[in-house]
Amino acid sequence: MSQQASVNAVVSPLPAFEVRQLSFRYDSVHCRPSSDRTAWVINEMEFTVRQGEIVGVIGPNGSGKSSLLKLLAKLVRPQEGAIHLFGSDLGTLSRESISRQVAYMPQDLSYDFPFSVLDMVLMGRFPHRRGGLWSLVGWEQQEDLAVAEEAMVQTDVRHLANRMITTLSAGERQRVLLARALAQAPRVLMLDEPTAHLDLNHQLDVCRILQQVHAQLQMTVLLVSHDINLASQYCDRILVMKQGTMVCIGPPQEVIHPQVLTEVYGCQVLVDEHPDTRLPRVSLPSQDRHQTVGISGML
Amino acid sequence: MIVHPSPSASQTSLSDPPPPAPPVPLRIYEGLASWQALRARRWYAVMGAMTLLTCGAIVFCLQFGAHALTMAELWSALTFSTTGSEDVPRVIIWDIRFPRILMGLFVGASLAITGAALQALVRNPLADPYVLGISSGAALGATIGLALGLGAIVGGFGLPLFAFIGGGLSIVLVYSIAASQGQLPMHQLLLAGVIVNAVCSALMMFATSILNPASLYRVVLWLMGTLSVPSIPALIGIGACLLIAIVLLLRESQALNLLAVGEDAARSLGVDSNRVQRTVFLVSAVLTGAVVSVSGMIGFVGMVVPHLVRILCGADHRLLLPVSALGGGILLMVADTVARTVVAPAEIPVGVITALIGGPFFIYLLMTRKYRFFA
Repeated sequence: MSQQASVNAVVSPLPAFEVRQLSFRYDSVHCRPSSDRTAWVINEMEFTVRQGEIVGVIGPNGSGKSSLLKLLAKLVRPQEGAIHLFGSDLGTLSRESISRQVAYMPQDLSYDFPFSVLDMVLMGRFPHRRGGLWSLVGWEQQEDLAVAEEAMVQTDVRHLANRMITTLSAGERQRVLLARALAQAPRVLMLDEPTAHLDLNHQLDVCRILQQVHAQLQMTVLLVSHDINLASQYCDRILVMKQGTMVCIGPPQEVIHPQVLTEVYGCQVLVDEHPDTRLPRVSLPSQDRHQTVGISGML
Repeated sequence: MIVHPSPSASQTSLSDPPPPAPPVPLRIYEGLASWQALRARRWYAVMGAMTLLTCGAIVFCLQFGAHALTMAELWSALTFSTTGSEDVPRVIIWDIRFPRILMGLFVGASLAITGAALQALVRNPLADPYVLGISSGAALGATIGLALGLGAIVGGFGLPLFAFIGGGLSIVLVYSIAASQGQLPMHQLLLAGVIVNAVCSALMMFATSILNPASLYRVVLWLMGTLSVPSIPALIGIGACLLIAIVLLLRESQALNLLAVGEDAARSLGVDSNRVQRTVFLVSAVLTGAVVSVSGMIGFVGMVVPHLVRILCGADHRLLLPVSALGGGILLMVADTVARTVVAPAEIPVGVITALIGGPFFIYLLMTRKYRFFA
């Protein structure tokens, strides 16, 4: 914290997220007794996200990464523990006030409906609407439009404003969604797999935009990713999850470690340095050196 | 990365980070801003045009029927320029055709607007009150009311009441079949709707085999979907329901926009998805109940019309909902005019006409790549 404060004096001391003893499971009629901790999707997690940092969440499939994001966006409520957003308890904050502070970009969206790109981006202004009792349909104000346009310029989709979302490529759609999240003018940006299904070029685009807005707007960014290398390159700190628990959190240099990754993913990995950035880089070993922990354990 | 001072200064040059973003020139806002004003203006323009079109369609439909009127007859009847109560065109127009046409407008509008709202809510372009089983539930409710001889209770509104209860129960049933572990998978909702639809239709057909002939005729008409000359209270009742429904749905139109794209995303933007769901389901049950009790199960209007409007006007529900309502009204008025004209003096059930229009259109939708289904 002190290191960060020295870098940027405007950073407020309040953490973006403070998570204490967080536990969560999806309510089910077939609930196992609550003493059985394996039924919990999130299990006693405890960490802090500082204001203005980029935090990546990595972990195997089903380790609870997406659930964690949903908890932080208050889309689901935890059974135990507390989350504080900039110092105030998330449980007591109204939906509107959370929506004005936190933008959440989910993974699965439906593109069956031919909305125009401008329509999509303007949806981000929903939490800021000022609809009176008698406003029937509620059009956006000039100010909303200015914000939306700036967001579209930042994500380089301004030229697509009139296009239908159904006709865009995956990379363009992702940038439109990013514009929508930025139009929300949030303090925290949360992204669930922002680079999934994108080719290298578009992955780079998304990451550059994230870096840009992070630098310009001092936005706190929280992203879930399967791409450890991408997380290593672009995140200030990385949170590693396994089966609903936090394994560790820290800068890529400390966290991206063969031992940690082998423990979490259950397979051998090679970690070396990225030739440019000297940040850790992960690759899978070639076939003859491949030894899974599971097999060696059985042998 | 920007805040983080480590690991090395060389990183900035080597990892090819973005150049500092150029300051955004303020001028460019003007382009979009005026366009936005245009959007609001476009809303009024499209709505005005649709209203004119609706009026035109009403006049067109007044002219045709078992007895085609000449323009002169139509004009004199419309302007009350003839005198005497025995004036045939005037009786035809004001006592028979006009109420029926108005009913067609209301029924079509109800089906189309509920269809449009349900499609957004279910995030599936195939949804409508018919597919989701609300229509057949309502028809079954009305059939039960008829079989029990309770049509006359509540001041003659017994059947609509039973239809509403039937439609409401079926949507609750569909909902609880589909909902699992606090989630509502939308394809499961659609599947449950299809099943409830089939079961209710089967029960109605069973009822036709045990009912007395007088009731039987009514039930068969409900199964087919047909319009007839309505009573004035029924007309007023449905008109009032429709008006309230339009206001309620329009107030949720922005929320429906967001929900159509994704529920989690919509909720994260501050949409109370439960409230919107309740509103849309309740409005659907009431409107469908009212509509089914007078016209039976008319399929495809609710599904086809919103698609047509989307192709023409885009997906924004602020425009889509009212334009769908008017479009559905026009479609059903015209379909009913065809239904009562082509084999005059007999009539084809209007459901046959709408299915004959809707079926091929449905196939067209499936075969073009304009929409992706279950992607």
